[in-house]
Amino acid sequence: MFDLILKNIAHRKLRSGLTVFGIALGIFAVIVMGSMSENFNMTFDKSISLTADKIRVLPEGGFVGGGLTESKVREVKRVAGVSDAYGLLQASLDPENLGFGGGNVVIGIPPEKTQITLKDTKLTGGRYLVTGDGYRAVVGSSVAREFKLKVGDDLEIKSKKVQRASSITHTRNFTVVGIMEYTGSFFDSGVIVPLDRAQKFYELGDGVTMILAVPEPNTDPEDLSKRIELNVEKVKTFSPEQLRKQIEQALIIFSLVTISAAVLAAIIGGLSVTNTMLMSVSERTKEFGLMKALGAETKDILFMTVGEAALMGVIGGIIGIAGGAALVYFMNNNFAIILFVITPRLLAIAMSFATLLGVVSGTYPAYRAAKMSPMEALRYE
Amino acid sequence: MNEREPVLSVRNLSKTYMQGKIPVHALTDVSFDVKKGEFISIVGPSGSGKSTLLSMMGLLDKPTSGSVFIDGMEVTKAKEGDAPKIRREKIGFVFQRFNLIPTLTALENVDIAMRFARVSKHKRKERSVELLTQMGLEGRMKHKPSELSGGEQQRVAIARAMSNHPAIILADEPTGEVDTKTRDMIVALLKELCEKGQTILVVTHDMDVAEKTSRRITMRDGKIASDTQQ
Repeated sequence: MFDLILKNIAHRKLRSGLTVFGIALGIFAVIVMGSMSENFNMTFDKSISLTADKIRVLPEGGFVGGGLTESKVREVKRVAGVSDAYGLLQASLDPENLGFGGGNVVIGIPPEKTQITLKDTKLTGGRYLVTGDGYRAVVGSSVAREFKLKVGDDLEIKSKKVQRASSITHTRNFTVVGIMEYTGSFFDSGVIVPLDRAQKFYELGDGVTMILAVPEPNTDPEDLSKRIELNVEKVKTFSPEQLRKQIEQALIIFSLVTISAAVLAAIIGGLSVTNTMLMSVSERTKEFGLMKALGAETKDILFMTVGEAALMGVIGGIIGIAGGAALVYFMNNNFAIILFVITPRLLAIAMSFATLLGVVSGTYPAYRAAKMSPMEALRYE
Repeated sequence: MNEREPVLSVRNLSKTYMQGKIPVHALTDVSFDVKKGEFISIVGPSGSGKSTLLSMMGLLDKPTSGSVFIDGMEVTKAKEGDAPKIRREKIGFVFQRFNLIPTLTALENVDIAMRFARVSKHKRKERSVELLTQMGLEGRMKHKPSELSGGEQQRVAIARAMSNHPAIILADEPTGEVDTKTRDMIVALLKELCEKGQTILVVTHDMDVAEKTSRRITMRDGKIASDTQQ
């Protein structure tokens, strides 16, 4: 029967082509949106696993309130159960030109804390920061690619300070001493500089954006997180678990947007299959009547019609995946940041989605074809 | 099977359609037998009920009352699910408009009938080639219906009807769409098949065709008006 299905699809080339194209477009959207969502998921997963052992301490009123200083760092450090605490400074690399996903980020870290922050992230070249480094920087893989940086190159960092109605922009070159490997985390778009130089450059005194507290072994991070909030004034803490929850919520919203796009694509693709199959079935009314008169079983007719729709779904799916993968490959290689990741899971979802789409939208036309009485079908003109 | 036992028996067959609220008696109490190897024609003006009768015998439509037996089996009592099996094993159809599947070649059009009967691919091919050769179409097997003449198409349709060794071939105006020369050729072909033992029932309004059959049933107003051996 399979060869009959192929013949029918091939016989109506333009119509089958358009239908397949419709599905391909839908699956293309699923792949592109899906790979973006997968990339976000992966980045957050990796980022969380890099920082999962530390408690984040933020100023109570959010970033706007400011107010975290070295003295707060010392206060956090004194809380029982905290083995180490250090401040981080985060700022945008180019405040005038924020890219997608927040763009590249300057992270000021005390040089001796680099290792504990980045864990076993390796360098593809150069060295990590050491105590006493001046305007030096270790850059993430995405940053290195965007600015085509090699060890020894200079990277321009901008700071923007709003004073009354106008803003003043400072720039300064930092020399790249190390380039990090690709981690799939937010460190890929990070520029790591010594904390003291960052504070000076951004004119923040001894202010920091965030304090990371490392719990002592055998200390429950959840309890410690609450203890820090109680002992240190005007701070809000995020335990690894809280952070995970918060990020997951953001990811759910992102996934919802992606899923809606995919569902929309599915509906459009599905309607086009249904439409084509209805036309094809009504065009072949006589043919089906004849087949029944020749002794075809209802299941033979169902198999042929559903099979035709399913096959168009499969072909559309393959084309859509190929097209989506091509675009993703192109984007990842030609743009500074990696935005897409095609996972086996995503491929499986896209493919079964395409097939299901064909089957579901082919079912009603197939049912119509199969239930037709041979007499009526043969009389049909 | 016994030579004298009928291949097809029609018993008190009646069919009433509702045309809006008015009942139309298309068939009233029709009974007759067809023996194996008979070449029989059913004639009559349009509206006489001959096409309705053919639909009942071919399990394409259900009678209001009465029964049809094929090979001793009461097919009018068969369940809906058994109808396809009876159609493909007992009956071969030949239609006025040939009704070949336009996307398939002559060979595939014969082949498809045997597919539904789940005949193996090798046997299907063998039988299709054999039948088309018998019909004098050995050079046209790979042609699509649109590339065949009316006579050739009807011969493909006859080959298709023969493919599953049916008990009876039901032909509905098989010469209605062809010229007189092709008509004579088709009738001669059917007659030849009968002489080889195939039972054939032809519904026609063409008296020239009816005259060539061995028996003629004339229908009028849903009833048998005459039944003559000739």
